Amino acid sequence: MSEERRSVSISGSGRLGGGEYERVSISGSGRVDGDVIASELRISGSGKVSGRTEVGQVTVSGSGVFGDAVVAEEMRISGSGRVDGPIEAKEFKCSGSFRAGGDVSGDYVKVSGSIRVAGDVEVDIFKASGGFDIDGLLSADKVEIHLGGRCSAREIGGERIVVERGTSFGGPLLEGLVKMLTTRGVAELRTTQIEGDEIRLENTIANIVRGKRVAIGPGCKIDRVEYEESLKVHEDATVDEQTKI
Amino acid sequence: MDDERLISKKEVLETMGISYGQLYRWKRKGLIPEAWFIRRSTFTGQETFFPRDKILERIGRIVEMKDDHPLDDLAELITTRVNAKLRVALKKLERVGWLDEELLKACWPEEQSEEAVSIWQAFVLGVLSRLRKTARDEEIDLVRRTLEGEQRKGLLERVSENGLRLYLLRKKVSSGGISAQISLVALADAGVIFDPEIEIVEEVELPTVLQRINLDLARGEGTEEAAGEGARPEETGEQEERR
Repeated sequence: MSEERRSVSISGSGRLGGGEYERVSISGSGRVDGDVIASELRISGSGKVSGRTEVGQVTVSGSGVFGDAVVAEEMRISGSGRVDGPIEAKEFKCSGSFRAGGDVSGDYVKVSGSIRVAGDVEVDIFKASGGFDIDGLLSADKVEIHLGGRCSAREIGGERIVVERGTSFGGPLLEGLVKMLTTRGVAELRTTQIEGDEIRLENTIANIVRGKRVAIGPGCKIDRVEYEESLKVHEDATVDEQTKI
Repeated sequence: MDDERLISKKEVLETMGISYGQLYRWKRKGLIPEAWFIRRSTFTGQETFFPRDKILERIGRIVEMKDDHPLDDLAELITTRVNAKLRVALKKLERVGWLDEELLKACWPEEQSEEAVSIWQAFVLGVLSRLRKTARDEEIDLVRRTLEGEQRKGLLERVSENGLRLYLLRKKVSSGGISAQISLVALADAGVIFDPEIEIVEEVELPTVLQRINLDLARGEGTEEAAGEGARPEETGEQEERR
């Protein structure tokens, strides 16, 4: 019933009207004017979609800009990407750098590069080993953060929230040196509030942490902890106030 | 509405015996509306509050239903998001005892040849069938007209968001040896108070009617009938739901 959708590829410089395609590949510099529906979109040069993107698999290894919402099964950014609208992706992986102008929702988000999100991130599983800056809420059943740079979110909530210092390889001295020299800044997480059932933190600065089982590890500065079952505070952590509920 | 009582997130978790993880998950899946999360600063810092009655009722319903339905379907069922395209087979209405030829004829005289009705029609029938025993004909008509009048103003959406109820009321007025009884229909939140001389003839919880339709009657395109023709009406729907 469905007519065959064609595949297009821009390898020099070109423009493409919006519409339905099977595969769209941009390896030079290309632009799609309007909404695009496709099963695959690959940008390895520089590409821009001005409208809404509804694509099974989006891969950006060069630079990709999306002017409106992106709905995808899978979205991978290894270069640099920007989406001005909301993103709904079952699986979102970013090893490059990425900016989202709206909310990010889906099943799985993995960040090993750096992302900046102007809205909320609400997914089932959130894993980060790079840096992130989320203006809104970060919510996931599992939040796993290996601090690899400056990380911040307004609030974090979920079932299991684990924040660990990134893999250090040379003891505190070298780590300090690395911190001084890298532009990534201090590897720490800043947030106003963390709520979860199981919370394990390191290098985290927060106003309030509420949870069932809470472990505050080294490098944390927490104004107030409210816990239900258990609380462990590492000797290299500061907790100003703690209450068992 | 404005000064409705609030409840803190902590109290919600405690009262309902649920976890942070569940609450955040349900919010994420759209089971709890964003608007219900009310941020307030307290002396211990930021806290989140909810409209008390709404959140407790909603969570109660989620807890009750979550084992039988995939979470992703639950949003549609619980928030009774109204899918206007869905249609309800008359056979099914008959089975749950909502179908009353007379009511149907009274409401939509032209359409009785069809085998299915819209969600809206099923909703009206569902409400009216609950009044049938106690209400008089003109009262049934009054209720119908009240509902119809609100249809275009988004009654179904309001029903799904607020716990609206429909009240059929009577009041006796007498003076100079003559007494008369007047009937009234009101759509109000559960907390409404009437003067003591008003008799509440019937009270219908509208979300329950809508939920019933969404859950049991209108599920699935081309709604296949469950095998057991003689199944008890109360159970038919559930059997179909379970997979």
